Amino acid sequence: MSETQDVNIEKGKNDSQILKTDSIIGKFFSEAYSITFFTIRFLKEVIKPPYEFNEIMKQSFLIGYKSLPLIAITGFIIGLVLTIQSRPTLAKFGAESWLPAMVAVSLIREIGPVITALIFAGKVGSGIGAELASMKVTEQIDAMQVSDTNPCKYLVVTRVLSATLMLPILVIFADAVGLLGSFVGVNKKGNVSAYFYFSQVFQSLAFADLFPAIAKTFFFGFAIGLIGSYKGYNSTKGTEGVGKASNSAVVFASLMVFIIDMIAVQITSLLQ
Amino acid sequence: MEKNSTNKIKLGIFISLGMLILILGVYFIGERQQMFRSTFRLNGVFKNVSGLQIGNNVRLLGVNVGTIDNITIISDTLVNVEIMIDEDARQFIKKDAIASIGSEGLMGNKALIINPGTGRKKRIENGGLIATSMPIDIDSILSKVKTTIDYTAEITGDLASMTKNIESGKGTIGKLIMDQEWRQKFESTFTNLENGSDDFRTLMAKANDIDDLLLSIKETMANTSNITKNLASITNNLESGNGTVGRLLMDPTTANNIDSTFISLKDSAVGLKLLMEKAKRSWLLWGF
Repeated sequence: MSETQDVNIEKGKNDSQILKTDSIIGKFFSEAYSITFFTIRFLKEVIKPPYEFNEIMKQSFLIGYKSLPLIAITGFIIGLVLTIQSRPTLAKFGAESWLPAMVAVSLIREIGPVITALIFAGKVGSGIGAELASMKVTEQIDAMQVSDTNPCKYLVVTRVLSATLMLPILVIFADAVGLLGSFVGVNKKGNVSAYFYFSQVFQSLAFADLFPAIAKTFFFGFAIGLIGSYKGYNSTKGTEGVGKASNSAVVFASLMVFIIDMIAVQITSLLQ
Repeated sequence: MEKNSTNKIKLGIFISLGMLILILGVYFIGERQQMFRSTFRLNGVFKNVSGLQIGNNVRLLGVNVGTIDNITIISDTLVNVEIMIDEDARQFIKKDAIASIGSEGLMGNKALIINPGTGRKKRIENGGLIATSMPIDIDSILSKVKTTIDYTAEITGDLASMTKNIESGKGTIGKLIMDQEWRQKFESTFTNLENGSDDFRTLMAKANDIDDLLLSIKETMANTSNITKNLASITNNLESGNGTVGRLLMDPTTANNIDSTFISLKDSAVGLKLLMEKAKRSWLLWGF
């Protein structure tokens, strides 16, 4: 009897060791639980009034408008480089006239949304993570709770909603500027009129290219905002935690962008 | 506060501009798919659509006038293709128009090509059925091309071995081209041929003379024939003992007469000889 008890105790010890919060598997599941809980809390707060419109506007300005120059420059360079790099391969087949179509489809479908989301994760994800983490370590969040302000609603919901709504608009800008960059790239060797170039671009595009690409950017924005907020909101270990939260927000958000992209591609190909 | 409102304006412009770009993009893509134009529909029934897809272009005289709206299999051998065409192009598509499936390029998408039909017929109705023709099956063309290529490969292989043989001086042509001795022989043959042809030319020039010759030969032959006939009659006469020579040869009486004549002559000659001897010794003819 006592032997069986001992075995059970031993087994219980092993289980607890595996699921200990500092083991890798334990960390993974505890993190998954925390994120799920955080997301549910976010969704509850989104629906529940009052709504912080002014704060959402302010965050949208900071997250969206302020990110525009960086996104535009990146988009232009991506369009230009993609065109210049694709030209020799297409020239081998004598298919240089397909350059606008090829660049447009790859830019609108994949490269525009993903590159913009990665830049967005680097700039906004880390920004939200660092901001909320510093507020956490300086006990500003606790102070808000004490002063009867819902920190989740005021800090997290506004940022996540802004990120979700601003990223698609930034992607539209990035696509447009990227196509301009591609136009410059096409004209680098050759003389193509803007009318001809853009008619070729729109000739090659379909709604099936545009709408799924725009739809997935909402999820990218949501994931980046949510992960940034989560990492910042749950940071610990003082000022060291701020850097860690910022860093892990970028890494995790970037990874999530690729995972969501893969799922989105699967769903799009299933629907077509 | 003022800064806050400026930021709001900036954000408003940012969002509006983003939406405007999206709407323009949607408009231009929709424009291509005939979404914002008045269109009419046609149906075409094919046995095989060769990979035609929804959204592919419809071409009239090489101009894109519409898109493929829907493709449905209606039986185990027939496929119905719904075509959406710009209303402006309808006046050119007559009731006897024929739709066929072609390609936009060597590697490009498939396209539906409409042959507009004759001008005498009425224009096609909205929702009407257009006549179709079977598309060119690229696979069958490719299989034919493959057979041709296989044969070409064989031929080129043979040609390569032939040229190799020629180069190494094997065979008649090889010897002709590569062998010095053969070449000289060939050259001399040609020279002979050339001379022969010269002679022939000369001969041909003398063709009229030959005609005369042939005529004289003919005459000669006719004369010879007559002579032969005469000779035959002579020999006949000889055989039958007619005429002097005939009797001489064939008549035994004549032969006896001749014999006796000759004997008489011989006797006369002996007598004459004796007479002459006597005359010599005669005194009358002394001195002769």
